[in-house]
Amino acid sequence: MNLQRLLLRFPGYLGALGPPRRLWRFPSLDTISPVGPWRGQSSRSPAHWNQVVSEAEKIVGYPTSFMSLRCLLSDELSNIAMQVRKLVGTQHPLLTTARGLVHDSRHNLQLRGLVVLLISKAAGPSGVNTSQNYDTVSGIYSCQRSLAEITELIHTALLVHRGIVNLNELQSSDGPLKDMQFGNKIAILSGDFLLANACNGLALLQNTKVVELLASALMDLVQGVYHENSTSATGNYITDDIGISTWKEQTFLSHGALLAKSCQAAMELAKHDAEVQDMAFQYGKHMAMSHKINSDLQPFIKEKTSDCVTFHLNSAPVVLHQEFLGRDLWIKQIEEAQEKGRLNYAK
Amino acid sequence: MALRWWRWRRGCSWRPATRSPGPSSPGHAGPPGLRAASDALAQELLISTTELKEMSEYYFDGKGKAFRPIIVVLMARACNSHYNNSRDMQASQRSIALIAEMIHTASLVHDDVIDDASSRRGKHTVNKIWGEKKAVLAGDLILSAASIALARIGNTTVISILTQVIEDLVRGEFLQLGSKENENERFAHYLEKTFKKTASLIANSCKAVSVLGCPDPVVHEIAYQYGKNVGIAFQLIDDVLDFTSCSDQMGKPTSADLKLGLATGPVLFACQQFPEMNAMIMRRFSLPGDVDRARQYVLQSDGVQQTTYLAQRYCHEAVREISKLRPSPERDALIQLSEIVLTRDK
Repeated sequence: MNLQRLLLRFPGYLGALGPPRRLWRFPSLDTISPVGPWRGQSSRSPAHWNQVVSEAEKIVGYPTSFMSLRCLLSDELSNIAMQVRKLVGTQHPLLTTARGLVHDSRHNLQLRGLVVLLISKAAGPSGVNTSQNYDTVSGIYSCQRSLAEITELIHTALLVHRGIVNLNELQSSDGPLKDMQFGNKIAILSGDFLLANACNGLALLQNTKVVELLASALMDLVQGVYHENSTSATGNYITDDIGISTWKEQTFLSHGALLAKSCQAAMELAKHDAEVQDMAFQYGKHMAMSHKINSDLQPFIKEKTSDCVTFHLNSAPVVLHQEFLGRDLWIKQIEEAQEKGRLNYAK
Repeated sequence: MALRWWRWRRGCSWRPATRSPGPSSPGHAGPPGLRAASDALAQELLISTTELKEMSEYYFDGKGKAFRPIIVVLMARACNSHYNNSRDMQASQRSIALIAEMIHTASLVHDDVIDDASSRRGKHTVNKIWGEKKAVLAGDLILSAASIALARIGNTTVISILTQVIEDLVRGEFLQLGSKENENERFAHYLEKTFKKTASLIANSCKAVSVLGCPDPVVHEIAYQYGKNVGIAFQLIDDVLDFTSCSDQMGKPTSADLKLGLATGPVLFACQQFPEMNAMIMRRFSLPGDVDRARQYVLQSDGVQQTTYLAQRYCHEAVREISKLRPSPERDALIQLSEIVLTRDK
C-alpha cells in the first residue's frame, strides 16, 4: 500500500490541495468559491472518506486506538455513563458531546490518532537504533501507538470541557438549574478523568521532551478554546477586527497545535532528528489548519441551502472577505444585511 | 493560634538562618523564600491572554496557607541534609514545591465549579467572578503549566510520581460521588477518599523531592510516609474545623461538607452514637433541616474529639517516620509542623 500517496490524499480530502499557504493568496470569497478543485473536493461523498480512513487503518495495522475499548473497561467511565444517563431530557451540552463521541468517532474523533500513526509509519525507524526493546506492530512502535491514544484523549477532554455552561446566563428554556449544575459536574469530572489518563500515558512514555511537547499542546489548546469562547460569546459585536494573521494564530492554537506537536512527538519517540521532527510538525499543523478551513468553507459552497446558511463571523472566509473589503465597507455590508433582516447572530 | 501559624510561616521560631547562620545565605532559607513563590508561580504561567492569566493567578496571591510548598521545601532540605549534610536546595526541588501548589490550585478551581462554591480564602471563587466555562479552562491551563514545569525538570521518575497525584485527585473526586451502606466500608471509603484527594499530593511531592535529593529508596519511603500521614491528619482536622470553626476564620462557609451531602469523619463517628443519622447519610442530607440536625448530632456526640484523636495518631506516625532521618533544623521543623496541623484553627 502506498503510504506516501495516502498521506498526501488526506489533506486533499479535507479540502486543501498543496501547501495551505496557497489559500492566503486568494483575497476574497468571490475568488475562492469558483475555483474548481475546492468545490470538487468537498462534493466527494462521505463514502470516499470512509474508504480512505479504512485504507489508512489497514496500513497502521488495527483501528487507531483502543481508547474507546479501554474506557469501556474502566470503573470511572461506567460511573460517568450512569451519571450521564441522568442528564437525558435536560438541555446540558454534555449530552450532545457524548452523542457526538459515539456517532462521529470514525470521521473526526479518531482522525488525530490515525494521522499520528500514519506519520509514524511513514517515517519508519530512524538510523539511530537505540531502541531495540521497542516492539513494533505493523511498523509502528508501541510507544507511538500510546501517543496516538494520548492525542485523542486530550482532544476529547477539551471537547468535553468546552461544553460547560455558565450558570448565571441560563435562560428559563434551559430547564432547572439543578440539572445544569449536575451536568457541569459530570462534564468536569469526565474531562478531568480523560486528562488524568493522558498524563498517565505520557508519564509511561518515559520521555521528558514528549511530555513537554504534549503539555504545551494542551496549554495551546486551552488558550485556543478560550479565544473561541470569548469571541462567540460577544455576539452583539459585529466581529472582532482580526486580520487573517491573527486568525491563523488563534486557529493554530485551537486546532493545529495538538496535531502538530503530536506528530513531532511521534518522531521524537523514534529518535528522528530535528529536521524530520520539524517536517512532521509542519505536516500536522497544515493538515489541521486545512481541516478547519474546509469546515469553515462548508456553509458557502453548499448550493441547495442558500437561504438559511449559518456561519461563524470569525470563520476564515469571512475574515478574508473583511480584510479584502476593508473594515468600513464590511461594517456597511453587515448593516445592510441587518436592515434586510437576514442576519441572524446564531453562531 | 492563627498568629502562631502566621509567625511560623514567617519562620520566626525555627528559621535556621536566625538560629545559627549556616553555610547558606539567609535568602536561601526555606519557607521565607516562599514569599517569592507566588511571583515565581506567576512566571510559570506564561500566558498571553490577559484575562486568562488573571484568572490563573487569582489564587496565587500569597494569601493562602502555602501549606504544601512549605512541607515540600522543608522535606527537600531535610533529605539533602540527611544525604550529604548540605541544606542547599536544588532548583528542581524548588520547582516541585511550585508544581505541588499549582496542581492543588488547579484542583481547587475545578472543585469549586463542581461544588458550586462561592467563596474561598476569604474571596469570591473564580467561577463566581468569571463564570463556570472560563473557570474550567483556567483549571486546565494551570494543570498544563504544571505539566510543562514538571517535564522541564527532566526526570522521568519524578514525572511518574507526580502523575500519580493527578490520577488520585480525579479518582478521589469519583469516590466522593458514591457512598457505602455498610458502616465499616463507609469509613474505609472515607479514608481512601481523604488519601486520594489530599494526602496523595503531599506524599508524592515529598517523595519527588527526596528522589531528586538522595538516591536511597529508604529515604524516599520515609518522605512518602511522612507526607501521607501528615496529609491525612491535615484533612481530618479540616473536616473537624468544618464543624467547630466559624466562616470568618476559614475564609469559606462552614458545614460546607454537609451541604454538599458529604459525611466526613465527625459525622461517621457521631453516627456510631446516634444510629438515626444513618438515614440522613444515605440520603446525603438532602431533606430540609437535615444539615442543621446532623450538625447538632455531631456537636452532641464525641465525633469531633474522636476525629481529632485519629488525626493525632496519623501525626504520631508521621513523626515516627521523619525521625528516622538525621537531625537537622528542617527535620525538626517538620516534626513541629505535624503538631501545628493538629492545633490549627484555620
